[in-house]
Amino acid sequence: MNASDKLEILKELLLTDERKYAESITKKLEVLEETVNKRNKLLPKVEPIIDDKLEEFVEDIPKTLGPTITAALKEEIANSQDAVVEALFPIMGRMIKRYVQHEMQLLQENITEQINSRFTIKGIKRRLKAKSAGVSEAELMLIEQGASKLHQLFVIEKGSGIIKASLTKDNTIDHDMIAGMLTAIKSFVEDAFQSGEQELQQIQYDLYTIHIQNFSQYYIAVVLSGIFDTKTQGKLEDLLLNFAQHKINKTDLTNQQEFSNKLKAYFTNEYI
Amino acid sequence: MSISKKIVLLGHFGVGKSSLIRRFVENTFSDDYKVTIGVHILKKSVQIDGTDLSMIIWDIEGNEKVQKTRNSYLMGTAGYIYVFDASRPSTYESINEDLTYLKGLLPNVPMHLVGNKVDLIDLPELKKILTKKNIDCKYFASAKTGDNVETIFESLGKQLI
Repeated sequence: MNASDKLEILKELLLTDERKYAESITKKLEVLEETVNKRNKLLPKVEPIIDDKLEEFVEDIPKTLGPTITAALKEEIANSQDAVVEALFPIMGRMIKRYVQHEMQLLQENITEQINSRFTIKGIKRRLKAKSAGVSEAELMLIEQGASKLHQLFVIEKGSGIIKASLTKDNTIDHDMIAGMLTAIKSFVEDAFQSGEQELQQIQYDLYTIHIQNFSQYYIAVVLSGIFDTKTQGKLEDLLLNFAQHKINKTDLTNQQEFSNKLKAYFTNEYI
Repeated sequence: MSISKKIVLLGHFGVGKSSLIRRFVENTFSDDYKVTIGVHILKKSVQIDGTDLSMIIWDIEGNEKVQKTRNSYLMGTAGYIYVFDASRPSTYESINEDLTYLKGLLPNVPMHLVGNKVDLIDLPELKKILTKKNIDCKYFASAKTGDNVETIFESLGKQLI
C-alpha cells in the first residue's frame, strides 16, 4: 500500500459524512435544474403562485386602477361629447324605438280587447257612460288605458301586520309576508322620522303605487298601476272610506275568508 | 279553524335568532353569519290540537340592549322568544333586567326564554351558572343540530291558540 492509497483510505474514513452531504446537494441541484429547465415540471410549481397573484391583481383593480380609469373616462367623455352622442345615438335610438313599439303594441292589444268586449256588461256600461257624458266611446277607452288599475288590496291589522282580508288579481308571494313587510316598513318610517301621529300614506316604485289608508285598528293597502293623480287618490279614498264605514263590521276582522269575499264583491271594477 | 299570530324573536346580536327561525321554517342551518338588518319576516304554518296556526315570525335585528329595539316592531305581538347564546355569558348577564323591561312592554304576552348553541357548551354547567344568577330558563336548543327547535316554537304556539 503506497502513500496515495493510504491517503485515500484516510479520506474515506474522515470525510464520509461530507461526501454524503455533497452527494445529496448534487442530487438536489440536479432536481432543481431539471425543475427549472423542464416546462412540465416547473408549471405545477409556479402556476398556483401566478394564479394567486393574478387573483389579487384582479381584486385590486377597482381599488388601484378604478379611480384613474373613472377619472380618465369622465375627462374623455367631457372632452368629446359629440363623439359620445354619435356613438350612443344608434344604440339609444334603437332602444327607445323598441320600447315605444312595445308600448304601442300593448296599447293596441288593450284597445282591441276593449272593442271585443263591446257586447259584454262592461262594454255596454262604457257605451252608456260615453253617451251620458257626451264623449265618444273611443275617448273613454283611451282614458281607461291611463286610468289607475287596481292590482291588489290588503286589509292589515295595525301593529301585528296580520292580514285580515285580501283581493288580488296577480299571483304574488305569500300575502302574510307582504302584509308583515309592509307593516314593518310602515312602522320603520313612522318611527325613524318621529312623525308622532302621522302615518305613512304612499309608497311608489317604478310604475306602481301603494296607497295606504289608515283606520283605527287596521289599514288598507292598495297596489295600483297607471296614473295616480290627486283626483284618483281622492276617489279611491272615498271608495275605501265608504267600504270601511258601511261594509266592514267587527266579525269581518275574525273571518278572513268571508271578509275577502266581501272585498271581491265590493271592488268589482278593476279601474279606479 | 285557522288563525295567524305574530311571534317576535329578540336577543343580543349573534345569538342565533335567524338560525333558529331558519331551522324551524326551512330545516336548514348555515355557518355563515349574516347580520339581520331591520327586520326579516317569515311564516310557518303548523297544526296544533286541530287548529291551523300560521306563525308570522318577526326576526328583529339584535341589539346590545333590548331597550334599543324599536317598540313599533313589538306592537301586536302574540308571543315572543328571547334568545341568548349559551356559549357567550355577555348575552345572558342582563337577562332578568331585559325580561322585566319586555314584560312591561308586552304584559300578559307568552314568552319563552331560550339558550341557543348548546352544542358548544356543557349544559349541566350552564344550568348551574344560570341558577346562581337567578335566571329561570326552561328551553335550551341548538339551531345547528336542530335540537329542541321545533318543540320550542310548538310549545309557544300552544299558548297562543
